[in-house]
Amino acid sequence: MTSRFSKGLMLAGVIAILLFLLAPILVLIFSAFDGGNVFRFPPRSYSLRWFEEALTHTEYRSSLWVSTVLGIISTAIAVGLSSLAAFGLVRGKPSYRLGLEVLLLAPLTLPLVVWAIALLSIYAQLGINGTLPGLILAHVTITMPFAARIMIATFDEIDPRLEAAAKSLGASPWHVVRRITLPLAMPGLMSSTAIAFLVSFNDVVVTTLIAGAGWITFPVRTFSRLRTEGIDPTTIAIAAMIVAFTIVVIVLGQRLFQLSRRF
Amino acid sequence: MNQTPDITPTTTTLLIAPAAVLMFGVFVLPFLFLVVLSFWSQVPGSLSLDTSLTLANYVRIFTDSYYLGGLWTTLWLSGFVTLICLLLALPLARWIVLHAGRAKGLLIGISILPLICGALLPTLGLVNLLSPLGFINGALKSMGVIQSSLPLLGNITGVTIGLVQAFLPLMVLPLINTIERIPRDYEKAAMSLGASPLVVWRRVLLPLMLPGIVAGSLLVFCAALTAFVTPQILGQGKVVTFASLAYQQAAMVLDWPFASALGIVMLLFLALAGLVGALISRRLARGS
Repeated sequence: MTSRFSKGLMLAGVIAILLFLLAPILVLIFSAFDGGNVFRFPPRSYSLRWFEEALTHTEYRSSLWVSTVLGIISTAIAVGLSSLAAFGLVRGKPSYRLGLEVLLLAPLTLPLVVWAIALLSIYAQLGINGTLPGLILAHVTITMPFAARIMIATFDEIDPRLEAAAKSLGASPWHVVRRITLPLAMPGLMSSTAIAFLVSFNDVVVTTLIAGAGWITFPVRTFSRLRTEGIDPTTIAIAAMIVAFTIVVIVLGQRLFQLSRRF
Repeated sequence: MNQTPDITPTTTTLLIAPAAVLMFGVFVLPFLFLVVLSFWSQVPGSLSLDTSLTLANYVRIFTDSYYLGGLWTTLWLSGFVTLICLLLALPLARWIVLHAGRAKGLLIGISILPLICGALLPTLGLVNLLSPLGFINGALKSMGVIQSSLPLLGNITGVTIGLVQAFLPLMVLPLINTIERIPRDYEKAAMSLGASPLVVWRRVLLPLMLPGIVAGSLLVFCAALTAFVTPQILGQGKVVTFASLAYQQAAMVLDWPFASALGIVMLLFLALAGLVGALISRRLARGS
């Protein structure tokens, strides 16, 4: 009896902690349907007007466009470079493998805000502050560790004998990569692409420091608005859509290629 | 495991070089530049830098009570956030390992969600959760528990809630990894020898979980120490943390040498935290 009681208590505690973890996201999605100008609980009315507003607002639309373009280019470069490097590290087995892994994963352990301060002043000296190449370079750097970690684990799990077998049967190196390695690495490639894009798309810490007036991503615009004018329901509606999109990607990723196991 | 390489050393180098050069050039070099920059100064009223070496930036940080206050607030806030994260993550991680079963992947997915969503989106939700007309105050008022709104935004309470929410996953993930490696028999053995649940936790489980606790605490402490988006939005400018001071200097005042010095001071405290963590881990390794 007592053990069942303590188990129930434990379960209630765990559910409470999970709810706490999810509460901001749940409230965010819920409050996007509030019809008023300022969110209040309980809402006086429910409507979809802020979603309509969000989709027609030109300033936000251009920011979302910037975020998307930046995310796609940075993800492509980061996943490409880290896949090559991960393949080299796993198949080449160099003596410096550990050191290089530390280098590739460094942005996960060192504070990005401190790095961004340095990057900002270097960019200013080079005159590439607020330019698209500067932003892409920064976003490739912050997404690289996520992609590299997943790709190293992916290639570690692929049996090199499969590649050797194909080669001994007369396949050219390019043929081996295309027909054996790439298909086997596909779940890892999809996972790292999804995570890298989301990290780039949602970054505010680095981008808010180095983004100039020309390339304002959605998180940067929202952050600067929040500090000056407070919260605005259109922002909430867009944020709710982004969170919903993120959840869909993670759930699909989990279903299709066990995303969380690779993280 | 086969130790002979499957590709030639030249190919290996060619494959690794682009990523390695990029990470070294764009990530590592700026940190080295930061050290130099922190000993320079800004020519007043312009964007150009005075490259004669000076300690003025550091003297300013450690003599001005505004910056010292910010540093002190940030340090104890980070420690407090780490402690709360630990208290919440221990039961959660243990439950996920022992009882979650097939839901485990989903639960880990939920706990990494705040990491992937970045700092901003969950914070927006937190504003609507904590504001005077928001979810918590509205719910408590309509239930008649309170008459006037509780002040949950624009103070240290709001910032603490925001930071715990944002960084809890950093504590949960290493704990899950450690707990998965503890054989379940240990606990059963201790129980069968008559140990109470409290003694089992204190003498058996906690010591075995310590590597995960140290790793998770370091991650949370460092993340909280350098956070500025959450403190700025939930503190509404009234809670001054060290990283938001550095952000203001870099993005608004445009005094980059001073911002760099603030950054270096943050790095020194992170290194100190890392050192303490390493010492604890070493003592553990020797003790066992």
